[in-house]
Amino acid sequence: MSRSIWKGPFVDGYLLKKADVARESGRNDVIKTWSRRSTVMPQFVGLTFGVHNGKKFIPVTISEAMVGHKLGEFSPTRTFYGHTADKKSKR
Amino acid sequence: MARIAGVNVPTNKRVHIALTYVHGIGLTGAKKICKQVGITEDRRINNLSEDELTKVREMIDTDFLVEGDLRRKTSMDIKRYLDLGCLRGLRHRKNLPVRGQRTHTNARTRKGPAKSIAGKKK
Repeated sequence: MSRSIWKGPFVDGYLLKKADVARESGRNDVIKTWSRRSTVMPQFVGLTFGVHNGKKFIPVTISEAMVGHKLGEFSPTRTFYGHTADKKSKR
Repeated sequence: MARIAGVNVPTNKRVHIALTYVHGIGLTGAKKICKQVGITEDRRINNLSEDELTKVREMIDTDFLVEGDLRRKTSMDIKRYLDLGCLRGLRHRKNLPVRGQRTHTNARTRKGPAKSIAGKKK
């Protein structure tokens, strides 16, 4: 079920403040964050976030199409290297 | 033979069933159409009047996204996810289930027929 509209989108408050500061300063610093649960807001467009994936901060540059998604969606938490082709040697 | 929303030719079935042959109209939508146009459930397509048929067609035209247009929209939506580089797009790219289902077993609809792995037994 999707979130009730009357609640508005969820964002961690400190992120909004940091985004404001970053935009005023004009420098495009990576904003490191663990807040994968935060929604991408329209005022985030153009900023770069370092979204934690449990191990590293994945740099995510926010484009207009990303608005409405969560930050975590752009920072995969699992790495899959594929299955080994030859398992016979193990026998 | 009745043509509703392009090529579809459902006949001699009850109206709300026949309408579900159109891609994009399910049972709920079909019943909604019938109710709005004023067709009872026991009517069949071949005893609808030309008037009622045009009404049905009009309603589909205005209220429903159907056939080619719907398919196009679906593929456009998927493409949007692919270009976005979000998790959902990645899952689509790898042909794996998109909505968090398990893939340890099952998920055959997305993964296709099971491929046996040689020498998997210990």
